[in-house]
Amino acid sequence: MGRLFLVTLEGKSYSCKHCKTHLALCDDVVSKSFHCRYGKAYLFSKVANVTVGVKEDRLMMTGLHTVADIFCVKCGSIVGWTYETAHEEDQKYKEGKSVLERYKVSGPDGSNYWVRNETHIISGGEEDQV
Amino acid sequence: MGGVDSEPPSKRRKLKQSSMAETLADDSIGSKRIKKVEFVRLIAESLHSFGYSNTLSNLEKESGIAVSSGLVNEFIKLVLDGNWDESLNSLRKLSVLDESVVKLASFVILEQKFLELLNADRFIDALRTLRTEISCLSIDQTRVRELSSLLLCSRGNVTKPKPKQEVIIDLQRLFPPDVMIPQGRLVQLVEQALDSQQDSCSFHNSVCVDSLFSDHNCGRSQIPSETLQILQEHQDEVWFVQFSHNGKFLASCSKDKSAIIWEVSLDGRLVVKHRLLGHKEPVSCVSWSPNDDWILTCGVEEVVRCWDVQSGECVRIYDKTDLGMVSCNWSPDGQRVFTGFNDKSIVMWDLDGNEMESWKGEKTLRISDLQVTGDGKFIISICKENMILIFDRGLAKERLIKEDYNIVSFSLSGDKKFLLVSLVNQEIHLWSLDGDVRLVAKYKGHKCSRFVVRACFGGVDQAFVASGSEDSRVYVWHRETGELIKTLGGHSGAVNCTSWNPVNPHMVASASDDRTIRIWGLKGLNSNHSCMCRT
Repeated sequence: MGRLFLVTLEGKSYSCKHCKTHLALCDDVVSKSFHCRYGKAYLFSKVANVTVGVKEDRLMMTGLHTVADIFCVKCGSIVGWTYETAHEEDQKYKEGKSVLERYKVSGPDGSNYWVRNETHIISGGEEDQV
Repeated sequence: MGGVDSEPPSKRRKLKQSSMAETLADDSIGSKRIKKVEFVRLIAESLHSFGYSNTLSNLEKESGIAVSSGLVNEFIKLVLDGNWDESLNSLRKLSVLDESVVKLASFVILEQKFLELLNADRFIDALRTLRTEISCLSIDQTRVRELSSLLLCSRGNVTKPKPKQEVIIDLQRLFPPDVMIPQGRLVQLVEQALDSQQDSCSFHNSVCVDSLFSDHNCGRSQIPSETLQILQEHQDEVWFVQFSHNGKFLASCSKDKSAIIWEVSLDGRLVVKHRLLGHKEPVSCVSWSPNDDWILTCGVEEVVRCWDVQSGECVRIYDKTDLGMVSCNWSPDGQRVFTGFNDKSIVMWDLDGNEMESWKGEKTLRISDLQVTGDGKFIISICKENMILIFDRGLAKERLIKEDYNIVSFSLSGDKKFLLVSLVNQEIHLWSLDGDVRLVAKYKGHKCSRFVVRACFGGVDQAFVASGSEDSRVYVWHRETGELIKTLGGHSGAVNCTSWNPVNPHMVASASDDRTIRIWGLKGLNSNHSCMCRT
C-alpha cells in the first residue's frame, strides 16, 4: 500500500490495538455505556484514521439503525461501527457518531481490555445500548 | 398564382453581381451582418500595409468603396514627413471630425512640433508655438505647464519627440475608427479568433502555430496516453516522482529507502543516472534545486540529504538531534533549504548546513508538503488537518486556506500563483493565491481516501491537472473546464504521484505501489519534441 495518510491526534487518545494508529481522542467520548458482543464499547463524536465499510440495517437493542463497520486504515482490522441513520426519534443523537469497541483499542495509557472468554471472533459486535 | 418574377434565378444573380459595384444592394455579409464596406476597407488596409498599391487601387475601383479618403491619406503623409503646419491645415479640412477631436489632434501635433523645435535649440520658435498655438487650444493645461518648464530646463528623454509612427498611432486613437482605420486591425481580429479557438479546445497541448485554413482542433491524441516505458529499478513502493526544471532528469524516491535520478535521453527514453543510497527510512519526497544542480531527499521522520546531481554524491546531511524531518524544499534563489519537523516547526538552513532561522508553533504536520514562494518570503505548508498555512516570514503574517475535509497533499503551479489541494474526500481543489486566496475549481473522479495521493499541473501553459489514484489509474483533467479528459490504466497498484515534464508537454511520469514508474507519451510516437496539430 502507498504512503498512508495518517492523522496524528494530540492529547490522550485511543489507538488501534494492533498497529497503534491513533483512532480517537479521550475528549471525544460521548458515552461509555455501550456494549458489543465482546464487552464494552464507547461512543465517540469523532474518529480518525478509519475507513468505512458497507452500510446495512441492523436491529440493535435500541431499535433499527443503519450502520457501517469501521476499520483501521493501517492494518484493516475492524474497530467498531458508525451510525449512519437512526430510525427512532430518541436514537437520533447517535447519527454521525462512531462506536469503538474497547477490546479493539488500547487506552490512552496503553492499557488493553481483555474479553472474558476468547471465543471465535470474526467480526465486530452489534448490540449497542444507551 | 403569386409568382412575381419569372426570371430564372441564375440570371437574377448575375444581374445583382454587376450592379453590386454601384448599388451595394447587399451590404452585409455573414450571419452576424458584418458591414461589407467595413470588411472591404479592412482588407484594403492590410493590402496597404503590405505595400500592394496596385491591388489596392484595383480593389477601390472594383468595389467602388473609397478605402480611405484622399484627405486622410494626405494628412497621414504630412504627419509622417514631419510637416506639422501643413498637416494642421489638412486636419482642419477633414470635415468629418468634430471640434473636440480636431483640438485634441492639433494638440498632439503641436506638442511634437514644440519638442522638435526644442531639440533643435530653436527656443524662440518653440516659445512662440507654445504661446500662440498650443495654449489657445485650452486643452490639458498641466501638460502645457510641463512643456513650458521644459523650455527652462531640458530633461533628457522627456524632450525628445516621439517617432512619427507613434504619433500616427496616437492620432488613430483620437480619430473615429471609420475615418482612420487602426493599423493591423484585420490581423488583430484573426488573432482574437485563434485565441478563442484555442481556449475552447480542451485537449490543446501543443505549441505549433495553427493554419488559418481550418479550425484549431487538437483531438485527444495530444494528451499522453500510452505507456512508453516502464522503469523497474525500485525494490518497493515508489512514493514520489518529479521532473527537474529543465526537463532533462527525473527523480524518484521509494519506500525502499533510496532515491534514483534518471536521465531523459534524446530519444525520450529514461536511463538510471545515479542511485542515491544512504537513508535509513523510506524516502518520502525529493526536491530539485532551482538550477537543477542539487537535489534534496527527505527520509520519513529522519534526515534530509542534499545530493549533487552530476556526481550522485551526498554533499550535506541536514539533521537535528531528537527530531525527525518530514518535508524539505529550496528557496527560489537556491541558497536556502527549508525543512519541516515532526514537532511542527520549520527551520531554514544555508547550504553549509548551518541553521539560520526556525519557526515554532503549529506550522506544519507530520504528513505535509512544504513550498516556498515569493522570493523566499512565503512558506506554504499544511498546519492543521484541514488548513493550509501561507506564512509570510518577513512580516510574521499568516493567511489560511480552510477546507472542509482533511488535506492530504498540495502542489504549486509553475508560476506560483495557484495551489492544487488534494483532499481525503476524493476531490482536488484549485486555489488562487494571487491577491485574495479563493477557490477556483474542483476536480473529481479519482480515488483518494487512505493514501497520500498527489496531483500536479502540466501540459502546454499548465492547462491540465494530473493526479494519481488508489484505483491504479492516472487521471487527467482539463484545468479550465474541470472536465475529466483521460484516465490512464496500466499500473497494478495505487498510483501515488504524477509529474508532467515541464519542457516536453507530451511526457508524463507516474509512480505506483507496484514498484514501477511508467512514462506516458503520445500514441504511435516517441515522446520526442515533435508535435502534431491535427490527427
